[in-house]
Parts: sequence; structure tokens; C-alpha cells
Amino acid sequence: MKLDRRFLLRGMFHGSAATMMVPFLDCFLDSKGKALAATGQKVPTRFNTFFFGCGLTKQLWVPKTAGQNYETTAQLKPLEAFKSKLNVFSGLRIPFDDNPNYQHWSGVAAAATGISPTRNGQFDSKTIDQQIADVISRGARYKSVAAAASGNPKESYSSLGGLNTLPPETTPLALYTRLFGPGFQDPSSGDWKPDPAIMVQQSVLSVVADDRKRAMMNLGSGDKARMDQYFTSVREVELQMATQLQRPELTAKVEIPAAPTDDMLVNNALPNIRKVVPLMSKLGAIALATDQTRVFNLSVSEPASQIFIPGDSLGYHQSTHEEPIDPVLGYQPRVAQYNVHSMELFAMLLGELDGIQEGDGTLLDHSLVYAFTDQSFAKIHAVDGLPILVAGGASGRMKGGFHVAGDNSTVSRVGLTVQKAMGISVDGWGLNSMETKSPFTELLA
Amino acid sequence: MRTKVILVLASVVACGAWVGAAALEASGSQVVGLRRLTENEYRNSIADILGKNIQVQGTFEPGVRIGGLTAASTAVLSITPAGFESFSKMADSIAAQATSAEHRKRLISCQPKSEKAPDDSCATQVLSQYGLQLFRRPLTAEELRSRVSLARTMAKSSGDFYAGLRYGMATLLQSPEFLFRKEIAVPAADKDGYVLDPYSRAARLSYLMWDTTPDAELLQSAQSGELTTPAGLEKQVDRLMASPRLETGMRAFFTDMFMLDTFNVISKDSLFYPKWAGPMAAAAQEETLRSTLDVALTKNDDMRELLVTRKTLINRSLASIYGVPFSFNGEWAPHEFGPETGRSGLLTQISMLAMFSHPGRSSPTKRGVAMNEILLCEPTPTPPNNVDFSEVNDTGGPRKTVRERLMAHAADKTCASCHNAVDPIGLSLEGFDTIGGRRDRENGEMIDVSATLAGKSFHGAEGLGKFLYNSPKFPSCVARKLYSYANGLNAEEVETSAFKGGLEAFQKSGYRLRALLKGLVTDPKFFNASAPEANHTSP
Repeated sequence: MKLDRRFLLRGMFHGSAATMMVPFLDCFLDSKGKALAATGQKVPTRFNTFFFGCGLTKQLWVPKTAGQNYETTAQLKPLEAFKSKLNVFSGLRIPFDDNPNYQHWSGVAAAATGISPTRNGQFDSKTIDQQIADVISRGARYKSVAAAASGNPKESYSSLGGLNTLPPETTPLALYTRLFGPGFQDPSSGDWKPDPAIMVQQSVLSVVADDRKRAMMNLGSGDKARMDQYFTSVREVELQMATQLQRPELTAKVEIPAAPTDDMLVNNALPNIRKVVPLMSKLGAIALATDQTRVFNLSVSEPASQIFIPGDSLGYHQSTHEEPIDPVLGYQPRVAQYNVHSMELFAMLLGELDGIQEGDGTLLDHSLVYAFTDQSFAKIHAVDGLPILVAGGASGRMKGGFHVAGDNSTVSRVGLTVQKAMGISVDGWGLNSMETKSPFTELLA
Repeated sequence: MRTKVILVLASVVACGAWVGAAALEASGSQVVGLRRLTENEYRNSIADILGKNIQVQGTFEPGVRIGGLTAASTAVLSITPAGFESFSKMADSIAAQATSAEHRKRLISCQPKSEKAPDDSCATQVLSQYGLQLFRRPLTAEELRSRVSLARTMAKSSGDFYAGLRYGMATLLQSPEFLFRKEIAVPAADKDGYVLDPYSRAARLSYLMWDTTPDAELLQSAQSGELTTPAGLEKQVDRLMASPRLETGMRAFFTDMFMLDTFNVISKDSLFYPKWAGPMAAAAQEETLRSTLDVALTKNDDMRELLVTRKTLINRSLASIYGVPFSFNGEWAPHEFGPETGRSGLLTQISMLAMFSHPGRSSPTKRGVAMNEILLCEPTPTPPNNVDFSEVNDTGGPRKTVRERLMAHAADKTCASCHNAVDPIGLSLEGFDTIGGRRDRENGEMIDVSATLAGKSFHGAEGLGKFLYNSPKFPSCVARKLYSYANGLNAEEVETSAFKGGLEAFQKSGYRLRALLKGLVTDPKFFNASAPEANHTSP
């Protein structure tokens, strides 16, 4: 009997792993010891974004020294467990060029696109997750998946540009259903076979796609672009279906969880968000591990964060503007507390990613997580010094444990570095004063 | 009833000579508008075409508010992959239901020669009938051919005529010709510029007035050309307005104009306001819609009454916040507040007071900004980036009420220009807390609800109501919003002359909504269009 990797892997997921000898598993590793999926491909490097509103407090988060071995600061404390897998960037600059400083937006757009936005609430290009998804997502069921932990259906910073925001799932149940509901076939199930219903749907889509010529007739330029986007979306769902006819290659030891029994209360109250974030993170992590998607975007609030702690009549965003700076401390104490909560929520996502073992490391080791926010100092809508955090080893391409201290670099250098680490062939990134061709090479392995 | 509809439709299909389809190929025709269906428009259209017992389950991409209306975003948004995936699944589920054993007798107008084999003639009949209704125009020969052919292939391979039909119908339901409302214009015969073709006129009228797809009679009036004559148009407009379905259309409009979708994204602090629970937001939204439609349609009253009336409709949970007994047996009951309550129409409804407040604290500024934008069409510019708001928050200091704190803040000249237009409105509403309950004191101090706006002094919500009642800006704003809503435009960019016909009819009638509506849509300019820039005649 021919031993193929697929057969062996399947065996592993049916409880026989314990009986397999470690050296025997070496056949799954390539010459450098990197994990291979059963197809012989390397485990894909996944990409995540984590969005949190209203920034951090400079005095409390920026480490005193640059480089490695910096002393953990008060606001980075929740991330201490991941310090060696994390890089933090302080002192980055966001030049606006001729555009206004759109409050709670210019920073988001600069971090996500490397472009100072020309319109409030809109991105001037695809966001970084979509630029990366264009390259890495072929073969995964979904090109990308977004989730909003506060339940706001508009809270997604994943966009095709302009107003074309990719809608987020707004409850754990909705996220579960999209990922593991109807249409999902458990790749570890013994009797997996291509679902003929998918082939039928492909024929339906091909008729829809054939209407393109007439649908595009006599449109003005703006509407032409919108109609073109419609057909691009049709194409993407066609690709998604083609992917579903292939058995996904499980590389990690995960179990598909049961559906959340009950759609929980999802709103801006912090205690609810603290329950939703780990659930959404876990579902996202399992989706990445089972190759349902390679790009997962999680946001915990909108840019002007509406999160509130019960009993605080102002809430996060309003506090950033109305809480006086404590004359002794030199910062806004309540805002600082909200900042820490943002980092605790971030740690929840990292914990889920790092908790899944695959190949030679964890899912986090085979991922990059790009965490960004809207303001560096929300009280005055400042963006220079925007906190950016990047976690994960990108399958060995990204070093960790650095504090990259402000040398007046533009924020787009991080985006470029991230793309390099993701293996995207790109020379430069960003536009106008934010255009850069200099990644932080010291971080790239 | 349905048989009659099908017969009428059949005559449109049979003798329609592809009028609508030909329009796009006609020389000089242009697509001047592409409106993505809203969730309600989609649901209502499916219910009208296939019946209310067809389930529509799925998620819809949200709209974006532009110039005060999400309707404006339907003219600029597209469909993302996630959005299409959802539409595609819904299309399949709807088509499966429509062709199921349970529903086919009612929905499939012909009997196949055999249920186990393809039948092109029956498939053609059904697909052209639903094609006309879903695309709001007859299918082209090619559109029909490809679908009949799919139905044939699928029927053959599955040995089931209805399975073939199901997939044919599914292609219609996820086509851009259904999911977007295409407005097609042709060169005007007797003047410069363009005018909407008859089918596009029918769709614009129907989605405005009924929030749904044109019915058989309206489609027939488009097909016969009757709709393009002033008398034919008036006949159809009168018919649409006489129907109880006008309420559905105006519900959608007022939901948008009053920004009632804000409830989807706000939360209340249950520690301060334990009475605020999940169903409360839906009830508050419903109160506003019911009481607005009561004034505007049921009573056909002066729309300005909305600002001053003490009459409303409430249910049990709202009654507990309003502090009134609810002894009615049914779910909703009319209620009239006493003069001592200081309530004044829409301004003091729970919806407006709660949507524009913080989770645990009222906000005169939020309320003022919202009222200016919603009722007067006066948006407030964003504040400067570097503003010191700490005065506003310092409840521990000597300034106990938000009024004192705001005044200190607005003493700053940069801030004053906006706050002077915004704060008086919000301060006059301070007698009501974050969830709309009545109150007299803030942090132990009596609340002063006096205000001065545009040189006029008034007191409390009632004073504000009378002030707005007498402002010509309110009726003008209603007309501007309705016109922009109908056309998918940014209300802030619309010229006043564009809705002049409607506004004059509105004024002349003593501010009756029906007069405004009829004035707008029968204005000879209503179906005019300008060709979009950078047109290409072929893809």
C-alpha cells in the first residue's frame, strides 16, 4: 500500500497520532525543517489585521529603549507572553500632503493603505489585507473574512477601495455559520467527496457571468466601475466554488467546534466585547488552520471607539476628548485604562493563534498580525506616533522582539515590511510623501 | 388575484415587443442611474413577486449615510464578493422554494409535458414572466435563451423539470439587472437632454411610493407608453397614493430621514438605565414611524404637527420609560401627553432623545447636531482637531450642569460659531435623560431649559417645537430629503430649484405629505436626466 501524506495526516486526526513516532513525522518536513502541507506545499503564511480605536497613551506604551530586550511598558504588559513574537513601532509619521486631517480616519487609512485619504470615511486604494489576499488567498475557500466584535455592520477596515467595504460578520454565530455552516465540509471527515451541488451552482454562475456584456452597456464611468466590481465578485465566488471541490489540506490539529448555541448580546459594552473577541478569534484561527481563509480581519471597535465600561457615562471616545489630563500623572487616567483593555483584547487574538500547533510551530508562527488604530493621541486627533504592532513569525520570515523607535519614518514602511515578510513581490508602497521603498530590513529574516 | 396578475403580465410579455429591452440598444440611450436594492426593497420585491410565504434569509451589505440619507449610497455602492455570495445563496434558496412541490402550483403558470423531462415552452413562459418582474423590463432574447438552455440541461441531467427551472430562476435572482435598479434614459423628443424610459419611470415611482418593484398595472402602463403622458402619469400616481402600500414606502423614507438605523450601533449603559433592554430600541423606532405616518397619511395633517403634537402611539415597554400607565389590551395604543410633561412631538420621543446621547449621559451637542441635520438640513462642520473639551466633562468642579460646562467651552471663539447654532437646540431638550425619561435636575441642580436661537428666545422642548414649526427651513428640508431620497442623491448637493415644484405644492396644501409627493413626481422635470460623463457605448 502506498503511503501518502494525505492518508497519514487523516490518520493523525483520527486519534492515531499518539502511536506515530516522531522521526516518522519528519517526512512531513522539508529539508529546512519547515512544515509541509499534505500537498507538498509549505504551510501557507496567513495574514490578520486587528483594529482597535483611539490609540494608546504615549507615556505608557512606548518602550524606553529601542531594539531588542526593551523593558515592557505598562500598556504593553498584556502582550508580554508574546513579546518574542511581537514587534512594536513608535514615532511613525503620517504626512497628510494636501489632504485634511480627517478625524479618526486619516490615521486608519494611512496605516491600511499607505495613502493619506482624500475623502473622509473612504480608502483611496485596496486595504493592505486585500492587497495581500490577492496574492496569497488562491486555493483557500474565502479570499478574506472580517468580523466586528461590537456588532456594528459598518465596522470593517477591510476594503476594495472607495466605499466598497467588505462587510464583517457581526456575531459569533454569524461568523461560525459563514465559516463552518452550510457549504462547509469537514476536511478531516473520512468520507469527504466533492459536493455535486457546487458544480450545479457553477453552471448557474456561468450564465450570470455571461450577461456581462449587456450589463456593461452604456454605463457612465462611475457605474461602469461598480458593475465591473459586481462581475469581479461573481468571479471570486466562482473561484471559491472551484476551491471547494478540492479537499482542504488540514495541517493543524484542530477540532471544528460546535455552533455557538445562542446568539449572544453583541454591543459596545466592554464586558460583552471581552466575551465576543475570544470567540471570534478562535473561529478565525480555526478557519485559518483549516484553510477556509488565509486572511482574517478582526475589529473591536470603530475608530472613534464607542466601547464603554458600564458605569462610565462617557465611554471611551468621549473620554479621550473630555477627560482632563491629570496634572500629576501627565495623562488621562481613564483613557489609559481603556487603552490597556485594547491590548488585552489584542492578546486574546494572539492567544488563539498561538494556541494552535501546526507543523514546526504555531499558527501564530506561520502568520502575521498587523494591529493598527486611528489616532496616536485621540484627545487632539493627532496621528504622528500612531501605535502599530506586528505579531507573528511569517513562517520564519519575520524576526520578533523589536521595538522600532521613531526615526521619523512614515507609517507606510511598516506596511511595506509586512508585505515583504508575507512574500509579496513589491518594491515600494504608499503614495506621495508616504511612498517608501525602505522596509525595516533588520526585521526581515 | 394572482391569476389576474399573471394574465396581465403574460400580455405584457407576449405583445411587449421587447420595448424595455430595446431601449438600451436604442441609439443614444444611456444608463443614468444604477441603484443597489436596499434590504427592504429586495424583501418587498420578492414578497410581491413570489408571495409572502417565501423565506428570505441572508445578510445584506449595509448602506452608508451620505448627506443625511443612506438612499444616496445606493447610487454609489457596488456588491463585494461577500455581498454577492450572500445574494447568490439567497437566490438559490428562493428559487428552490418557488419551484418546490409546495409552491409550484401557485407560482408556476404552466404544466410541463412531463415532470421528469425538459419542456422548453413551459420554461420559456415561466422565465420570461419572472424575468419581466425581477428585471422590471422584458428579458432580451439572449437573456432568455441562456436561461432556458440552462433549465433544459439541468432538467435533463437531474430528470426533473422543476430542478431545471429552479436554476434558471436562480440566475435571474442574482443578476445585476435585479440587484441593481438600472435607470435608462433616452434623448428627449422635444427638448435637449435626456428623459427616463418608461420602465425606469415605473421603477422609480414604485420604489419611492411602495418601496417595492412595479406591479403588473404599472409595468403595463410603461409598456403601453401611457406612463409617459401627463394624464397617464397622474392616473398611476393617484393609484399608488390611494393604496395602503403608500405607508410602506413612506415608512422606508422616514426611517432613512430620521436616521432610525442609528439604533443598530448605539448601546445604553444598563447600569444607569436598567429599563433599557433589547426590544426597547425597536419599540422606540416603531413609535416614531407610527406617529409620523399617523400625522402624515392617516390624518393627512400638516406635517409641522410632528414637531408640536402631544399625541403619539405607545406600547407597554415605552410606557414605562414615559412614566405613564398602560391599560390597553392590544400592543399599541394612542396616548396624549399632558401639557405638564413638556413633551413636543418627535423632538421628545424616546427614539430621538436616546439615539443622540451617550451610553450613560445626555448630550445637548449630539442632539443639536442631529436635529439641525435631520429637521433643517443644516449639517454641522467637524470641530477643529485640537479642542480642549475637558471643561465639558468636569462634573466634579463648580459647574454642575452640562449647560454651565458647555458655556465655558463655547466661550472659545473657534468653537462658538458652531455651538451657538447647535447647543440651544440640545439645551432646550435637557429636561429629558439619555433614554428619554423626564427629569428636572442634573447633579442636584435644577436644569435650565431656556434657549435663544436666531435671536428668538424659547423655553424647553415645547418652545423648540414652536420655533421649528414656524421655521420655513423645516418644510423645505422635508422636500429636499424626499426628492434626494427618490433620486439617490446627496441632499447637500441638490439645488433648491430641483424640488421647487414639490415644495410649492407642499406649501400650498398646508404642508400635506401627499401634496408634496404628488408635486414632486408630477413635476415635468422629475424624469429628466443628464447624461453621465465619460460614457462608453460598448464595454
